[in-house]
Parts: sequence; structure tokens; C-alpha cells
Amino acid sequence: MRKFGTSQSVRRIEDVRFLTGTGRYLEDTAPADTLHAVVFRSPVAHGRITALDVSAAEEAPGVHLVLTAEKLEAAGVCLAMKSTVLENRDGTPGAAPERPILARDRVRFVGEAVAVIVADSAIAARDAAELVEFDYEDLPVHVTPRPGGPAIHPEAPDNVALDWGWGDAEATDAAFAAAAHTVSLEVEDNRIISNPMEPRGYWAEMRDDRLHVTISHQNAWAPKERMAELLGMPAADIHVTIPDVGGGFGTKAMDYPEMYCVAQAARMLDRPVLFMADRTETMLSDNGGRDLASSVDLAFDADLRITAYRVETIFNLGAYNGQHAQAIQTELALKVLTGTYDVQTVWFGARAVYTNTNQVDAYRGAGRPEAIYVLERAIDNAARQLGVDPWELRRRNFIAADAFPYTSATGEIYDVGDFHGLLDEAAIRADRAGFAERRAASEARGLLRGQGLCYYIEAILGDPTENSAISFDADGGVTLYVGTISNGQGHETVYRQILEQYSGIPHDRVRVVQGDSDRIASGGGTGGSRSVTTQGTATRANVEAMVEGFAGFLRELWEVDEVLFDAQDHRFRAPGTNRSVDMMGAAGLAREEGRDELLRHDHTATLPGRSYPNGAHVCEVEIDPETGVVTVDRYTVVDDFGVLMNPMLTEGQIHGGVAQGIGQALSEHVVHDADGQLLTASFMDYAVPRARDLPMMGFAHRPVPSTANPLGMKGCGEAGTVGALAAVANAVLDAVWERGVRRVDMPFTPLRTWSMLNADADRI
Amino acid sequence: MYAFEFQKPTSIQAAVEALKDDEAQALGGGQTLLPTMRQRLASPGTLVSLSGIAEMRGVCRADDGALCIGGGTSHAVVAQEAAGIYPGLAGLAARIGDPAVRNRGTIGGSLANNDPSACYPCAVLASGARIITDRREIAADDFFEGMFTTALEQGEIITEVRFPVPEASNYQKFIQPASRFALVGVMVAKYAGGVRVAVTGASEEGVFRWTEAEKALSDNFAASALKDLTVSADGMIADMHGSAAYRAHLIKVLAGRAVEAAA
Repeated sequence: MRKFGTSQSVRRIEDVRFLTGTGRYLEDTAPADTLHAVVFRSPVAHGRITALDVSAAEEAPGVHLVLTAEKLEAAGVCLAMKSTVLENRDGTPGAAPERPILARDRVRFVGEAVAVIVADSAIAARDAAELVEFDYEDLPVHVTPRPGGPAIHPEAPDNVALDWGWGDAEATDAAFAAAAHTVSLEVEDNRIISNPMEPRGYWAEMRDDRLHVTISHQNAWAPKERMAELLGMPAADIHVTIPDVGGGFGTKAMDYPEMYCVAQAARMLDRPVLFMADRTETMLSDNGGRDLASSVDLAFDADLRITAYRVETIFNLGAYNGQHAQAIQTELALKVLTGTYDVQTVWFGARAVYTNTNQVDAYRGAGRPEAIYVLERAIDNAARQLGVDPWELRRRNFIAADAFPYTSATGEIYDVGDFHGLLDEAAIRADRAGFAERRAASEARGLLRGQGLCYYIEAILGDPTENSAISFDADGGVTLYVGTISNGQGHETVYRQILEQYSGIPHDRVRVVQGDSDRIASGGGTGGSRSVTTQGTATRANVEAMVEGFAGFLRELWEVDEVLFDAQDHRFRAPGTNRSVDMMGAAGLAREEGRDELLRHDHTATLPGRSYPNGAHVCEVEIDPETGVVTVDRYTVVDDFGVLMNPMLTEGQIHGGVAQGIGQALSEHVVHDADGQLLTASFMDYAVPRARDLPMMGFAHRPVPSTANPLGMKGCGEAGTVGALAAVANAVLDAVWERGVRRVDMPFTPLRTWSMLNADADRI
Repeated sequence: MYAFEFQKPTSIQAAVEALKDDEAQALGGGQTLLPTMRQRLASPGTLVSLSGIAEMRGVCRADDGALCIGGGTSHAVVAQEAAGIYPGLAGLAARIGDPAVRNRGTIGGSLANNDPSACYPCAVLASGARIITDRREIAADDFFEGMFTTALEQGEIITEVRFPVPEASNYQKFIQPASRFALVGVMVAKYAGGVRVAVTGASEEGVFRWTEAEKALSDNFAASALKDLTVSADGMIADMHGSAAYRAHLIKVLAGRAVEAAA
């Protein structure tokens, strides 16, 4: 067996670079003589700007430029950042107030960028920032993400930006009226800060009369187009590059004001300009995630089959529309609204509200973890209310294994799946049978034990089209150009595996190039768990076309009628002769013959359909009722990701995704005070999970290969997070149910858990 | 961080001289001061580092049996070198911060700062330790004067701390989930003359002794002796990580666990 093809747990090639300190992250790539940009941010959550005087800052030592909204406009920059706007249920468009690059007239959240100081050093810029005269008149603050409160935008009465709905409300109401049982639940999904290890950063320079911008981002091409539009320059005059990226999580899929500011500053000064966020800036100004509350109703017939499903959600946008924020808790959540259950009568309403907090937008899973969280909490709750086993209630309502392809109520075509079979395996792997004994042992130690299940399904999103280019270089190496952006996932390894699998090109001859808008004409970037499926499919299709090209060339060269490519040993052969050559050899012959067009192959491929990874997460928690401490004691995942490209990378994605899910469920807690000040603005108060907070995770794979792409795979980047939230929360509810607790909401911090258990305690 | 002058004297005498300057600030391990300066929330004109003073470092045993720790001794050294003499104290030191913090942070710096959530003040108070400075000796009961406030005078340096070694002791630290400081910490120390119980992290007045528990435990050193006691929530810290009632509740829970672990 080949050691490097697909389905092999090849170690991450890029880790040698990352672990030996030779990774090149954004700040590492900035020129030594770069100027430094520091942002003057709003100290208040809501205020009318009465004075903004930057003249003293401009005069400060080492300062080259101070940008304000006024100066950007004077330079011809369009201040209005781009965002997706959806339609309200009455057909009118959702609110689209301007989100200015730098605040004008008014500030709407603590941390909003007001001015950018560019100086010789970050220290000089910070010194100058203290000289900015910023006066404001306080406006009343709206922090709680509910409709109503002081108006933030005239375009959004009651602060409601969007009143969106999908489904058949009448049919749903009728089904509820006719139901044998109905069960309702209120459930919150707490706000998080994604906190990539490498904060956001950007640097820009003028090079050969073109603007070169280096960004820590998940996409090179869309930001290029948006910069061209806002900065008022031809896209062809902009070159975007992305170096190593230390974590994206959807947070870096979006643009932020600083990118435009450093680009414009570099144009104005003809000097390199760097902005690198510090941790508190990350927490204040990166997009948040989640932050919604839902009312959920399930209708059942007498056999406990779900007859209708209704969700009404209110979600927080923050102060402005984030780049894709209106679509997250609406269209994206809709993809998996009904999960793995056979229910065709649904209503999903979602209202988006503005608050005086920073924007909330995509975060690992972007709408799908939220939808699955609501559904899997609801079905678990229904089982408890109806007095049936929660696993059994799920089984009773699963889409049957012979019902695929299955068109869901929201129009998704699930290609394949075997939910019953997978859940059976999860019961064994998680030792469900041994739970009662473990619970008794915990009780003997004074601890409460609970077990929670989440059966999730994911829909792979993002652009289904991707480009692949393969070039045979003069130095004997091969360059693979990709349109996705690794933020740490290990793409370099898996792409080389896929290329070797189909072409036989030795992986150690291959260099992978990503994130360079000059060298790669277009790309879909990374997000929605799309990367390996789309890029792998494009590369596979590219190899097929390349094989055709070389076969034709070899027929001419060898003067034979037929040249075949053996997919096993990757050699071209002319049947009936002893002529054969591998891919590298064929490229060498093409070079000798002057056939340069065979030395570079470009191909675009579009996925025939989405894939739907799914699986079961089983979590067991122990709770110390005296202190409220929740410990995740056991965690088992059984997934169906179809054909695995690299099992070790897949498992790593699950570990990371589950860790982020457990983090949100147990400790990550964003708190603003009544004035809109962020109280959790450093790691002293914002608790990300530590390795010691996590158990060893059991991971098993029970694949049903996807029929929606030629690789048979399903994306795995977000799935861990999608499954983890409800698994933990259902386990917590299971643990405290006997103590009379009926409602549990994340995060299960010690204080909140203790308070749940001691509802009568004096809560000061 | 703003610009500042830096001095690193090698004797206590020289440090005391350097600290006579109004703009001077003593620097121990810098685990609180340096982050504060980085955030531009403190701007001393001169930092006088105490880390070059060899006579302020180390752990030894006094003739009267007390454990003597130099004011400039790091938590890591205490964790290691006090383990055989005063395991309750060594265990406390071993769980302050993370390895980097323990290798930089010093006992003198921690006590002089008197953070209401710090661990060492709890040990000093529970042990009835004596604080030795460049000019005098201060009893633990007289040293702590509320959050971030101590009996130290301007420019006064903690050169040594002397801990009477208890018969049995234990420190229970309930960590604040993010900072890993003590949300509440309780130290119980049993001496021939009685039991002392000190509490950190909980009170708006900083570290304090839970005297009712001391009485009860002096009569009967068992967790059950605390059964009928309650701690009032009045004056307890309330923040996003713990309400006043929660902190008051934790004091009793942790005290009981400390007794069980020590007994």
C-alpha cells in the first residue's frame, strides 16, 4: 500500500515549520522598515461625536498620518463596508445602515474604530493616540439582544434589523392544533469570542505602482474586489497575499476596518504600514459568535412521530450588519433545521436585533451548530417530558436508511446516511450500558453524573466551485496552486496526498501555493467545511485532464495509437510496446520537446452537490453539587465523513471542534455591563478551555461515502463544534434533572451551575 | 508601556536607598506590575528590581523551627524546597499561576501587592507568619489592611517571611475559571496552640481569618465541626465569576475539604 495516498494518516508536513518556529505569520512577513498603525477606539458604547481633533496626534513625534472618516472620504474612499442583506418575511429588505470603516458622527460600540494613527513605531503611535481629542455626548445604551430599547439606527425601528421567516406557518399551526403531544422549550446560545491564536493583522505597501496587501484572512480574492471598490481603484492594481494564518474560525472570513485603513495609508504615504491587533483589541473588535435565543416547539402524533417543528429565534447582530451576519442564523441555520429527522412541516422565524456591542457573525459552523443545538435540546427535552428514552425518540424519527436521497423540509438533498446504524455503534462505543453503574459510582462520591447525546447533521457550504493549477517547474519540482486558505488545518499535507493519489507525483516534489491573488486568479477561500472537498475534487479533475493531455502528447511522441494511464502505478503505457513513463517523466519529455503548454494545467471543477456529514456525540459529565463544577468525564464521537482523505487530520479537526464546543458550553462567557463595556476583555476574565479541561476523546468512523462528490468525502472542519454543544448541555440536564432542575442554559460555569442547583440561594 | 529608568541593586541597603526616590517603584517578579505597565495603567519613573539581591533569596530553617523564606524567593523554589518541611505551604506555592509565573513571581512581591485573590496572603495569615522588612518585623495579623493595602511604608522591602510550621495544614484553592486566581481559597493550619483558618478571594476587605471556624476546629479538628457554621454574604466580592452568596458558600465547603485533606 502506498504510504502517502489518500486515506492514510500522513503526518502534517507543515508542522515541521510551525513547531520549529519557522512559520511565517502575518507580522513575520512585514518589511523591517514598516510603519505601524494603532487604532483609536471608542471608549463608550453609544455616543454622538461632538469633537474629533487629531491635530495634536498628527504633530506628535514619529507620526506620519492620522486617518479619520473625514480624511478617508476626502481621499476618495467609500466608507460603507459591505454586508449581506436579507428580505423580511413581508418581502421588504432588511435594514442596511452604513457600517463606516471609521466612525462618523456617532459611535455605536466600545472598541469601534474612530481614528488610525500611523507612526514609526507602535509605541509612538500609541503615545499619539493619547493626544486624540475625542468628545462625545452620551446616548442611551442598548445591550440586551432583544427588540426595543434606545434606537441605534433610524433604519431599524425597535432595533429590529430583520424579521425573516421560512416555511408554512399555517400548516405548522394546523399540525400543532392536531397534535397528540406538543412540547416547548426556551433555549439560549451564549455569545463567544473566537480568539484565534494569531490575532487579526494586515500590512500594505506600494510595489511597482500597485497596492500589495498582506492579510490574515480566509480568502484573498473577495477582499481584493471589496478593496478595489471601497478604495476606488482597479482590482488589477491590487495584489493580495495571505501568509501562514494562526486560526480563522469564520472570524477571519470577514473584512474589518483596519484592512482598508492600512491599504489606504500605504497608498497615501508610499510606505509599508502594519496593523496587528493585540488580545484586548481582538476581544473588543473581532466579530463575536452565536448569541441567540430561541423558542422551540415540537408536535408529535400518538406514536411519538414528529408532525411539525417550529422555531422562533432572536439573534444579535451587534452595532452594525456584519459582512454575512444576517444570513447566519437564517439561511445557514435553515440548511439543517430539521436535522436527521423525517419532518416536513416546519416554520422558522428569526429576528435580528442591533445592540451597542461589536458585530456578531460567522463562527465555526455558522448557523448550523445553532440550529442543531436548538433541535437536539428540543428533542431531548421532549423525550423527558414525554417519558421516553431520548435515544429511542430519535430513532423513531430518523430518516430511514433506505429513504436516501432524501429531500428535507428546507429543500436540502441529503445524499446518503445511516443514522440508525451509526447510533447503534455510538451506544457501544460510549458504553451506554455501563452508564447506570458509573452514575451510581459518582453518587457514592457525592457527585451528579449525566449523559447527553447529540445526533447532528452538517451541510457543507461555501462556493461549490474551485480551481486547481499544477505546474511542472524548471527546478524539477511541482507547484500546486489552490484557491482555499489553510488557517492551520493541514491543507498542504492533504492536498499533496490527493495529488499523489491520482497522479503519482511524489509528494516531496510538490509545493503548495495558496493565498496569492497574482499567482492564483480566483478561489473560494476557506469556510463552511468546503476546502478539501472542493479543492480535492478540482485537483482530481485537473489530474484527469492532465492525463488526457500527456496521453495525447505521448501518442505523438511514441507514434502509437494508444497510450493508457495506469491508476495504480501511475505510469503511461503504450499497449503492445515496452514504452512507459510516469507523470514526472512525461513532463520532462514535454519540456524537452518544447511543449510548454503541458507544463502547466489549470482546471475548474464544481461539486455536483453538497455533502452531509453526520454523527453522534455522547458526553458524560460529573457535577459537584457543592461547588457547581462541571467536569466532562467521557466523550465519544462516532462520525460519518464518507471517505477520509487523512484520518489523523480528520480526528484532529474533531478534537479541536469539540474543544471549542466544550469551551462554549462550560466556560466561554461574554459579559457586557449595562453601559456596554466588555467585562471579559482579557484572558483574566474570558475562559477558553485548557487541555486539562478535556477528557481523552473516543473517535470512531462509520462511513457511508457521499455520492455528491467524486471523492466520496464529507467535510469535517465544523462538525465537532456542531455536535458538542447539545451533547454537553443534554448531559448537564440529565445530571441535574433528579434535583428538580428543568431548564439549563450554557455556559455551565461553576457559578451558573451552582445557581441552577440552588435557585433559592441569594443571588447577589 | 511608557519609558522608565531601571535599576538592579545587589544589596538590600542599596535597594532601600534607590527606593527613596518618590518616582521609584520596587519590582519583584513583576507578575502584576509589568502587565499593568504594559497596559499603560502604571507609569513608575524608575523600577528598582529586587531580583539581584542574593541575600533575599532562598529557603531555610530557623533555630526555633520556623520556615524562613527570603522575600525574593520564587514560588517554584518554595514549592520545591519547602515540600518536606511545610507541605501545605509548598502545595499552595505549586499551584500559583503557571510554571512561568512560578519561576518569576516572588513571595515578597505577592505579599506587598496583597491582591484580594492571591494565595500567599492566605498562607501567611493562616500560619501567623512574621514579615521581616528592611526596617522591622510585622505580625501577619497586623500586615494586611484590605485590598491591595498593607502595613508597608513607602519604599519598605519585605526581605524575609518566617512561617511557624503547623502540625497539619492544607490549602484549598477554588480557581476562577479564566484567570486561575483563587475565586476563593481557604488555608487551614493546625498548631499546638490552636487552629487558624484564613480565607482569600472572597472578601472586599481582602484576606481574613474565619475565627468561628478556628474556634470550632480548635475544639474538634474535623470537617463535621463546621457543620452548623455559616458565613455571611455581607461584604463578599460579587462579580461575574461568583456572587457574594456563592463565595460565602464556597468558604465553608473549602474549609471542610481543607480539614479533611489535612487531618
